[in-house]
Amino acid sequence: MSLNAKKSSALIALSLVFLVLAAAFVTSSSNGKPARDAIPLVNTNFLSTATVRQSYGELVRLKADLSDFDCYACHEKGKPPVIRFDTNQFIIIPKEHGNILMGHGSHNRNNNCFNCHNELNLEQFQSRDGRELKFSESTQLCGSCHGPTYRDWEGGAHGRTGGYWNDASKTTRRNCVECHNPHAPKFPGRQPAPGPHSLRAVPPAAETHLAH
Amino acid sequence: MPTPAPPATGLNRRSFLRTSAVITTGLAALAASLKPLLELEDFPTMERFLQKYYKEMTPDEMAKVLTRIENEVEKQYDKRPHVRDLKPLDGVEFVYALNLTRCIGCRKCVHACVAENNQSRTPEIQYIRVLRLPHGSLDLEKAEHNYSPEKVPEKGFFYMPVQCQQCKNPPCVKVCPVHATWQETDGITVIDYDWCIGCRYCEAACPYWARRFNFTKPQIPKERLNPNMSYLGNRPRRQGVMEKCHFCIQRTRDGKYPACLEICPVGARKFGNILDPNSEVSYILRTKRVFIQLKEEMGTSPRFFYYFDV
Repeated sequence: MSLNAKKSSALIALSLVFLVLAAAFVTSSSNGKPARDAIPLVNTNFLSTATVRQSYGELVRLKADLSDFDCYACHEKGKPPVIRFDTNQFIIIPKEHGNILMGHGSHNRNNNCFNCHNELNLEQFQSRDGRELKFSESTQLCGSCHGPTYRDWEGGAHGRTGGYWNDASKTTRRNCVECHNPHAPKFPGRQPAPGPHSLRAVPPAAETHLAH
Repeated sequence: MPTPAPPATGLNRRSFLRTSAVITTGLAALAASLKPLLELEDFPTMERFLQKYYKEMTPDEMAKVLTRIENEVEKQYDKRPHVRDLKPLDGVEFVYALNLTRCIGCRKCVHACVAENNQSRTPEIQYIRVLRLPHGSLDLEKAEHNYSPEKVPEKGFFYMPVQCQQCKNPPCVKVCPVHATWQETDGITVIDYDWCIGCRYCEAACPYWARRFNFTKPQIPKERLNPNMSYLGNRPRRQGVMEKCHFCIQRTRDGKYPACLEICPVGARKFGNILDPNSEVSYILRTKRVFIQLKEEMGTSPRFFYYFDV
């Protein structure tokens, strides 16, 4: 084989290689990326920093509707409301207060409105140590029974904070009733935000072991 | 008439046509086969290529870099960010405390973190991993992070969110071959995303699985981009670099609380300056039942403490 023939055949072979490569790139579609389904974005409800409730002080500040706190629109002054119990000694909630869920304390221990509300002045609270407290002073009412929790709340170990860590005047401290429903303070269960996807975006593995 | 002698080069019409056809086809094929190079994204500009190491940059150079990043982000996300380079504050050492009695495992912190720190949504990168553990045990072998019940908390379990522990003795920093990650004076271990070579040694060294790697180009929807950024914090990352929790450096060095703390619906997360005796974290470490640091036996000495009520 002559030198020229060798050269030409090498060139032809190289051209063929490049042609095959080019064909491969063209046919394998222009987007060389592996197909990956986009992971759905998390619902913005899960990104809300709002508290579940608003305290009386907060409602006053927001100039919200305070008619719920106007007790003497219905009740008569100087006449303590009568509390009725059923045969099991459960309190009977009158239908005007049907939105109240009595769930403060277990074993029916806290089965009386006037453990906290003042029967002689319904627009005030009364603490167990005999103090009369305004609606806006509810944290002290809670603290009169929940001493250690109140101490931790004052110290900053309990409850929600926000704003600025380096300036106490710009730190938001949340009251007890901004998170807890005073009539049923235990937190109800809530839907968890979605769990992690793997790199390949397969759905999370089914619940496996650990079931008790 | 005698026929002309063939040229000494051996070139005649046939061989010329053949050779030129072969060469033309070959060049065209070569060009076509290099097509993937044209699709190469994120080709570094000369400016970025020649950028200096974070600790060696003068304030002027840093200002230029911040403008470059702002331009790049604006080009990609149609939104002008505000990128800063916040320095550690004097007399501040950050500490995180998390109340295991209160955490209900709702994972809101995970997604608040993603939203604040511009993590990739597809594939998903999350700094916080919430572990579900059966009551009465701290055996991490029994932990499950793919729990998905209707409602949390579930009976018989407690929840332990794990994120970067900002160790006093960080193994990830020791293994970095290019010093792209280091511990700052306020205790935050940071990463210079422009210096990281993506070797993932730090990911392997971390005993808490706190570091995440961008295997592909991170994707963030434009409308969810957080424009408040910092150089060592939440500016968008590139493919091939590590990232991790940095205590929301763009917030905390500005005096604000981290995003995971702000959103926690039960107030289980606490953050502050341990050098300030009146801070919340000082109160907690002084008075509460503080559980050993996670994987204490590793000798990493985390700045992330778990505590209990009662």
